[in-house]
Amino acid sequence: MTPPFSRAALLAIGLARGAVLGAGGISAQSPPPPPKPAAQEPVVVGSKSFAESYVLGEVFALVLEDAGYRVDRRLGLGETELVFRALLAGEIDVYPEYTGTGLAAMLGEDGPSDRTAVLRRVGLEFDRRWGLRWLPPLGFENNYAMATRPGAADSLGLRTLSDLQEAAGGLVGGFSPGFIGRADGLPGLEARGIRFGETRALLQAVKYAALTQGEVDLIDGYSTDGAIARYDLAVLRDDLGFFPPYDAAPLAGPGLYSERPGAAVALSRLAGWIDEETMRRANERVELDQMAVAEAARLLLAESGFLDDASPPAAAAPRGERAATGPWAWWVRLLDRIWHDRAALAGQTVRHLLLVLGSLGAAVLAALPAGLVLERRRAWAESALRGASLLQTVPGIALLAFMIPLFGIGAAPAVAALFLYSLLPILRNTYTGLVEAAPDAVRAGRALGMTEAQLLARIRLPLALPVIMAGIRTAAVINVGTATLAAFVGAGGLGDPIVAGLALRDSAMILSGAAPAAALALFVDYGVARAERLAAPKGVRAR
Amino acid sequence: MIPIRVEGARKRYGQTVALDDVSVRVEAGACLALVGESGSGKTTLLRAVNGLTRLDGGTVHVRGESVRSLDPVALRRSIGYVQQDSGLIPHWTCQTNASLVPGLRAQPNAAERGRAALARLGLPPDDFADRYPRELSGGQRQRVAIARAIAAEPDVLLMDEPFGALDAITRFEAQEALAEVRRSSNVTCVLVTHDIGEAIRVASRVAVMRQGRIVTEAEAGQLCSQADGYAAELIARSGVRA
Repeated sequence: MTPPFSRAALLAIGLARGAVLGAGGISAQSPPPPPKPAAQEPVVVGSKSFAESYVLGEVFALVLEDAGYRVDRRLGLGETELVFRALLAGEIDVYPEYTGTGLAAMLGEDGPSDRTAVLRRVGLEFDRRWGLRWLPPLGFENNYAMATRPGAADSLGLRTLSDLQEAAGGLVGGFSPGFIGRADGLPGLEARGIRFGETRALLQAVKYAALTQGEVDLIDGYSTDGAIARYDLAVLRDDLGFFPPYDAAPLAGPGLYSERPGAAVALSRLAGWIDEETMRRANERVELDQMAVAEAARLLLAESGFLDDASPPAAAAPRGERAATGPWAWWVRLLDRIWHDRAALAGQTVRHLLLVLGSLGAAVLAALPAGLVLERRRAWAESALRGASLLQTVPGIALLAFMIPLFGIGAAPAVAALFLYSLLPILRNTYTGLVEAAPDAVRAGRALGMTEAQLLARIRLPLALPVIMAGIRTAAVINVGTATLAAFVGAGGLGDPIVAGLALRDSAMILSGAAPAAALALFVDYGVARAERLAAPKGVRAR
Repeated sequence: MIPIRVEGARKRYGQTVALDDVSVRVEAGACLALVGESGSGKTTLLRAVNGLTRLDGGTVHVRGESVRSLDPVALRRSIGYVQQDSGLIPHWTCQTNASLVPGLRAQPNAAERGRAALARLGLPPDDFADRYPRELSGGQRQRVAIARAIAAEPDVLLMDEPFGALDAITRFEAQEALAEVRRSSNVTCVLVTHDIGEAIRVASRVAVMRQGRIVTEAEAGQLCSQADGYAAELIARSGVRA
């Protein structure tokens, strides 16, 4: 294992080119002036969606707040690709990244295997290509750790990565989706002659369970995972020098280092303060002991001695306060959690509703006139409706992903995807509602001298209204459900606790988002159903 | 002035000839029945009168003016129209339905005219004005449809199988109601029916159509004695006695 950097060395690396802080920055000799708390925009801190990234994101946030900055937390945005895009787009200002990931996944280089060299390489290249800056590393590496059950390691004779070149053909690998795609992941292993008999994509949250239950034989663990020690897993030594070092460091955009250099200074002071053991303990607390992320982050800062006043509470309370026992314990814990997080949940519910209302409103504004046009041009109707149903067949998460190149991350791609999803039910019902609205009465009205506009306004639309409302109702319910996926593109809403719960292996947290989402769907269904009944003209209303 | 005059009307739908050089006139206050099997062109001819059908050739004059030169909406508002399925507007009450045309024509007291029309068709407004179409029997619905057609007191009334969907007793009552309307006004009617017996009973003059042409035309009372060929065959088939 590489010896840890001294803090001074890390600062020196980070500041070598004066890159971090610009011309008037600090140096190791003269302590920095206290950063000026900016009354302006909050610093937006992001993270990937696994426990360590959440914790580090929260650590950044706490450090920034301690320095007097306002912070907007956008933690758990998704996999590397998504968070990196968010930083490029300026939607977040900083997030925790790993130098090896920067080298292999973003620059696509094989590169050096030495920590300092990797850091220098990414520091130079990220600034040149994208204007992004690596702040000084935090002090620990989180390397890929190919892990297997200890028994399997013995029986198969697996000790090192090169052992896999022989054995992999008979093994089932369970890897995170990112690992399957990136150069420093599965493709790279395959290039070195390691081909698994079968590979499965597994979320970080379920990987260890899958391994211990024998569903898969090998996983891509992280060296700072709490679970590796807890489950006593066997980690294969990287005798191929395949994996680069993965030094954890804040990766910052210009919104941070040039607009608020003081904030960059504050984060730079974390350099070298977090060692591997401290990080692993924090991960264990979150992943295995269900501690709240904020709590674990505060403990980490206290244990590392970085923030003196961030003293932990005497007993580290698990997420969800009281530790109840008995058959109802789990439910008590869930209700406790919902109650504990009520303020956040209320905010997420409001945001969820805004996503739904925004996209649904836009869909109504688009699909209603489109339905009116199709009724006049019925020859177009079939192809238009087929196009809309094609959209409907795209899985929600894929549709969201397609929106990212167009709209970046955040609410915009989510609203766009939900909008597309809502089109079909409204369009189809508007069209059929108009076509099937008492055709005999329409014929008679026309024969008696009603104009087309009068036929539409006085016969067709009133009769079609309940059908249109039924379409809106269908769209609304689909929309409320699909909007939970919006958390994957950083749009927030009730999907946030679901995504976070998945990442942190916390079913109570998942349900604390899922249950309100389901309730919201029922509520919206009931509300629109009432409106639908009221919309039915009296002569045709079901009694 | 002759209320309805058709000269050399021609119409085809794709390969099908619907009207083949048809000429006919309807005198003021008369009721012309167009009789024939489906596809004989009778409905096409009827709909040419209020501009719902655009002829390929020939002319239709209503009250001396060419239909082609008139605004179709204004023309239709001046002509009553009844179709087989009453075509009542389902979310409107009987009174609102009956007042439709007076309303479209911005006549004063549209509602009153609708109520009066209901009364003329034997539907006391106090009982029927506020009912919705689905609360009526088939015969009542058809009478509301006729009331709607005459509420603006048009001088021309077009009817396409108005009694076609009714059972025998209801049909007789509805026919009586129409006869009463004709007695109490000088309305000029065209009635499309496939039932030659009904044509003879209700109309004053009968034109028998076949394959887009009028093959026989006669006063209703004299049809049985004058009919030959196809018309005689129709009469014999229907069981109407001379």
